[in-house]
Amino acid sequence: MGTLADVETAERRARRRARMLPVLGILFIAGQPLYFGPGGAAEPVRAAAWLAWALVLLGALAFMGGGVRGGAVRDLLEDEGTRANRLRGYAAGFWAGAGATVALYAFSLFDQVKGREALHLVLTVAVGAALIRFGSLERRALADG
Amino acid sequence: MAEGLANRLRERRAERDLTQAALAEAVGVSRKTINTVENGVFTPSVTLALKVARALGCAVGDLFSLDD
Repeated sequence: MGTLADVETAERRARRRARMLPVLGILFIAGQPLYFGPGGAAEPVRAAAWLAWALVLLGALAFMGGGVRGGAVRDLLEDEGTRANRLRGYAAGFWAGAGATVALYAFSLFDQVKGREALHLVLTVAVGAALIRFGSLERRALADG
Repeated sequence: MAEGLANRLRERRAERDLTQAALAEAVGVSRKTINTVENGVFTPSVTLALKVARALGCAVGDLFSLDD
């Protein structure tokens, strides 16, 4: 069980996480022209950069905020309320990804869709939506009571 | 507010002159979790409800009730 100082440290870190996650999600989705647009780095380089970025964001979604300090702060940052909000974030990501898949499937009836591009779009939408939803729920939870 | 569930957590906490952070410390959760329970945004597990009730020295039934 944490001390009052641990509770306050967890509060600061939770606020930082709640501010950052929606911004990261929006940047991830809004930055897609960098990967699909003309010019810039070679296509394999852009694909590798996007994949690395996606993996970093997935890690942030799952683990961000725990840090390396003692277990009490980490436990407070991963308490019951946070886990519930993260699950709701995952659910939002699932439904966004499913929606993107349906849209791509429908589009593929009229035009060709490359496999990697489809995977790219589905994962982008799913990760972005999950980050935005989780961060938004955390911001709401942190509002002064 | 969670559908059908009323809670008197804020009143009970105020009666004991505890801040949300102090109650969070006593229970072992973050302040925001206490905040969301008080506001009815989050319905706690039975385990958490029991811990909160113990920290406030009352029964779970004193904190939570069904809306009729």
